[in-house]
This record gives sequence, C-alpha cells and structure tokens, in this order.
Amino acid sequence: MKIIRLIPLASILVLIGCGSDEPTTSDAGQDTEENTESYTVEHSLGVAEFEEPPEKVVTLFQGANDTAAALGYEPVGIVESWLEPPVYEYLREDLGESTVVGDEIQPNLEEIAALEPDVIIATQSRHEEIYEQLSGIAPTVVVDELNDFKMTLDMMGEALAVEDEAESLLTAWDERIEHFKSEMEQVEEYPMTRSIINFRSDSLRLFVGGFPGSILEDAGFEMPENQQEAYDAEEAFIELTNTESIPELNSDQFFIYLQGNQDEDELDESWDLWTEHPLWEELDAVENDQVEMVDEVTWSMGAGYIAANEMLDDLYEMYGIEKE
Amino acid sequence: MRERLLTTRSKIIGLILLILLFILSLYMSIQVGQQQVAWYVMFDALMEYDPTNADHVVLYHRLSRAASAILIGLSLAVSGAMLQALTRNPLASPGVFGINAGALFFVVVAISFFSIQALTSLFWFAFAGALLAAVLVYVLGTVGDEGFSPVRVVLAGTAINALFVSFTQGLLVTNEANLDRVLLWMAGTVANRPIEVLLPVIPIVMVALIIAALIAKPMDLLHTGDEIAKGLGQRVLALKMLIILVAVMLAGGAVAVGGMIGFVGLIVPHIARFFVGHQHLWLILYCVFIGAILMLNADVVGRIAIQPREIPIGVVTALIGTPFFIYIARKGFKQS
Repeated sequence: MKIIRLIPLASILVLIGCGSDEPTTSDAGQDTEENTESYTVEHSLGVAEFEEPPEKVVTLFQGANDTAAALGYEPVGIVESWLEPPVYEYLREDLGESTVVGDEIQPNLEEIAALEPDVIIATQSRHEEIYEQLSGIAPTVVVDELNDFKMTLDMMGEALAVEDEAESLLTAWDERIEHFKSEMEQVEEYPMTRSIINFRSDSLRLFVGGFPGSILEDAGFEMPENQQEAYDAEEAFIELTNTESIPELNSDQFFIYLQGNQDEDELDESWDLWTEHPLWEELDAVENDQVEMVDEVTWSMGAGYIAANEMLDDLYEMYGIEKE
Repeated sequence: MRERLLTTRSKIIGLILLILLFILSLYMSIQVGQQQVAWYVMFDALMEYDPTNADHVVLYHRLSRAASAILIGLSLAVSGAMLQALTRNPLASPGVFGINAGALFFVVVAISFFSIQALTSLFWFAFAGALLAAVLVYVLGTVGDEGFSPVRVVLAGTAINALFVSFTQGLLVTNEANLDRVLLWMAGTVANRPIEVLLPVIPIVMVALIIAALIAKPMDLLHTGDEIAKGLGQRVLALKMLIILVAVMLAGGAVAVGGMIGFVGLIVPHIARFFVGHQHLWLILYCVFIGAILMLNADVVGRIAIQPREIPIGVVTALIGTPFFIYIARKGFKQS
C-alpha cells in the first residue's frame, strides 16, 4: 500500500528535481547521514531548530498520524485514535509498529520522552499548554489548525525537511480535485449545496466547516445560506435538539454519519426520531434521494491527506465517476 | 414574611388567576416555535392525529415538551416547599439538598455500568439516588450534640451535592462515550421526551402530591417549631419522614425526566409564600401552578432565544434563579 502510494510521488519528485537548482534536503540527505545542514521551522508558538532532518517522529493528533503515513514515515509514537482503537483501520498497515503515547487530549509525556524522538508534531488547540515540556523533549512543531490537512502536510513537510514530497502530494491532490470537478460538470445539479450531518443519540450536528467541509469545498460543493452564516461566524457545527429544526438541514446532497462511540440502540432511536418526522421527507436531498451514508472515520476523524483522498474516492464512487 | 393574600376569598381568586396564566402559558408553549402552525390545527391534531402530517407531529412534540415541563416544574416546586418547611431554611431546595446530584449519580451509574437506557428504569435509579442523598443530608444535619440545625443541613447538603457531582464527573471522565448524553442531562432538558415516557412518573407524582396535601395541616404546626408541634400531639419524626419521602418522590421523578434543573425548587416556594404565607395546603397548590408556569415559559425562552439551537431549560432556570438566590440569601442575612 505504502509503496503504491509512493510511486507516483517518486516520479513527480524526479520531474521537480530536474527543474530546480537548489540542493534538496530530502531522501538523499537522510540516507547518507552526511547532511548536517541545520534548519529552523517557525510556527505559531515559537521556532523549532533542527540539526538534521529528523527520523524518529512523534505525532500528537489524528491528522498528523495520517499525514506522517502519507509522507512515508512510520512515527515512533502516535496518539490513540478516537474510534477503532488503537489505530484507525485505514492507517493500521502504515502505523502498525508505532507506539501509542496516550490520546490527543492527554498524551503521556514520559512515554514520549522514553521514545527519544527527533521531532514532535503537535497542534495548538490541544497542546499549547504542554508546548514547553514537549520542546524540552524534542524540537516541537505546532500546527495551528488540527483539521486543516493541507496546513498539516505543509508544516510536516517543513519539519521533516521533505518539502518537495509535501508539495508533490498537494499537487497530486489538486490534480485529482480538478479531474473530479471537470467530470462533475456532467452532473446536472452541480455545483450543488451539501449538508454533513452527524446523528447522535441526543441531537444532530450539522457540520459546516471542519475537515469534511474543507474537502467538499475543494470538490466544488456549496453551503446553503444558513450554514454559510454559521461558517462566517466561525462556528464548527450547528447543534439541533428540536425536531422542528429539521428544515435547517436542507440542501441538495446529504452526507450522513452516525456517532460511532454511542450506543447503537440509542442511535437507532435517534435516527427514527428525526427521519420518521414528516418534515424530514420535505428536505430536498431526501426528496431527490441524495442521501449518502459515509464513514465517520475518514470523513470526520482522520483529518489528514490519506483520509482526504479516501473521501474523494467515496465521492467518485457516489457519482459513478471513473477515476483518472 | 407576611403574605399578600390574607383572606381565603383572595386566595381563591389568586388561584383562579394562576390557572388562567397556566392555560395561557400552555397555549404559548404549544403555539410558539420555529414552525408556524395555525392555531386551529391544534384541534385537528387532538381530534384526529395524523403522523404523516408535519403540523400534527410538530404539535405533538411541543405537547410532549409542555407535559414534561409541567411535571418537572410542579414536582420541583412542591419538593422545594416541603424541604423548606422541613428545615425551616429558606435556602433549602432539592438542588441544595443534594437530591438532584444523588439522582444524577445513580442515573449515570445505571447508564455506565448496567447499560440501562429506558427512562422508566432510570427513574428508579434516580429515585434511589435522591432518597440516599436526602437521608444522608438529613442524618448529617441532625446528628451531634446541638441536634437539628438549618445551617448544618445546608452545609451537609452542599457537601453531599459536591460528593455526588464529583462521583458523577469521575465516572464520566472514565467513560467518555456516555459523556454527551449525560452532559445534556446535567444541564437539564425537556427536548425529545415523548409523552409516553412520562406515564410511569405521573402516578408517583400524583401520589406524592396527595400525601403532601394530607400532611399540609400538620406541616403548618411543624412550622411553629418541633417542640410546639410535639406538644400539640404531632408525631414529629414520622411527619418529617413523610415530608422527606414526598420531596424525594417528586424531585427524583423530575430528575429522571429532565435531568438537573436547578432553582425551580428554590424560588417557586418563595414566590408562592409571598402570596399565601405558611398555610401549606395553599402553598402547595400555588407551587403546583407557579412551578408549571415557570417551567413552561423557561422552555419557550430556551427554544426560541437562539434558534435553531436551543438553550437547555436548566440553563434558563439558572439564569432566572441565580439573582433570585442572591436576593433571598441577602434578605435572610438582614433578618437575622
């Protein structure tokens, strides 16, 4: 799996390599171990200094776990997944050997220190308070937004001194997106509005932005007005507890996932409560049979490059488009 | 405190006004919401309920909420009145007595360890937790050389409350899956409670109310002091046990249905006493209606203030109740 993913990457690298005059600090440097060129990475909480490109990586949020795998690294330490513990199934093959150092919210500093990492990838909202301790263990690079997979990829590229790989992954992503969008032009309703709905036992969450929102925006989907307003107000989601609010969900295309860590019977009950309501039938996506159930892990939790591509795979499949 | 309605006649008129206000609040609670529903649809929905008609379903949900709100409101209010009479402490309420927290803790235990979901079974856990907390607080407040003292009861209640809340939090931290559901419960809510789940609670509340009415007269005597009541032939201990039982049945039922809804049990008895003083039969009647009116309106506010989202009803009552609590506490200090 990893090798397959790296083949197109390598070929792009060759192309890029031909065009640039600068010496690259990537794979070649790591292999010979002669590269002692030091560099620094600026981030929102400070500056991380590196003597040489790091090899032993610790990643402290889901998106960084995923992105490390995308860049071909198997971190020495990762944080536990929210579901399917200890590692999301879609990442197991890539991260099978990594040690779990606690969860995203409370990583175990002693375990991290014991791994003697060369770099720690953290995120501001989770780890701002332990940043000093983390940087005492190893140079720590803090990603501002834990759900922004491009930012994570970009900063990890810098931190691991593999900017070219990161760049080529992003190029590959952009190409996929362009292809998807050009194929979608044939779909009559495109560009359509979308809703990402998370069914919980006691409420519904209508996610407006976040990770899935950013992917769908890339893919040309639009937000209905009410979601746009919430998004502009920097709200991550609209929480609905009253079935009278069902019309708020309205859009052309629904992507739905059930909250995985809650009791199934309760979720069934909640599902019936909302979807058996007569107002549910009046929603555009329901009327036109545009309701898709999606995987919670890749759509909402992975938050990295691989998850983004899996989301896009799902979109290709939903609209019956042949991949490039 | 001198009551405002001195004669029986004025008390009856006051009660009729309260009933009218209650009906108006009930009407508002069924009429106001995100979906516009014409008022006459209400009759159609009552006569011939059609589950495929959006208006009917909307009204049914609103009616269910209203029923929960009424049940919770009157239960907490009467429970608070009973506890204030028992302890002769104006700050007593199911919340301060630790009853809410005890019920909540048992419910979280039921959800976490026994995977119980049905509201009907959860009720019994809430009831047991409420009873345990009440007995603990009463015993802690009574033992010792000085005997029963209102201040010690409040201190004991605060301690027991903190104890059960921290137990609950401890359980939740180790079991995050249940966190969301219980969090909403901790804030107090009447959303999505079908009217059917109230059915097992209704008889318990009714029985408690009847007992409360029956012991209203002896409670008037108790108000004058344990010694006087004893001297007049009251079996004070039995009476106090009954009062606790009633308070627990009511508060336990309310917590089982709606979670931790604070302040209703504290402020409504004061409002009621403002009108009718310490005649407990009147006090209980007034508490029933004022409690229901307060909760119905708190629910309407919670529903429409930030739609499409909702403010949990417990948060609304806390917003109203906190200034009131401070007011009573300050007034109490001035008097003493």
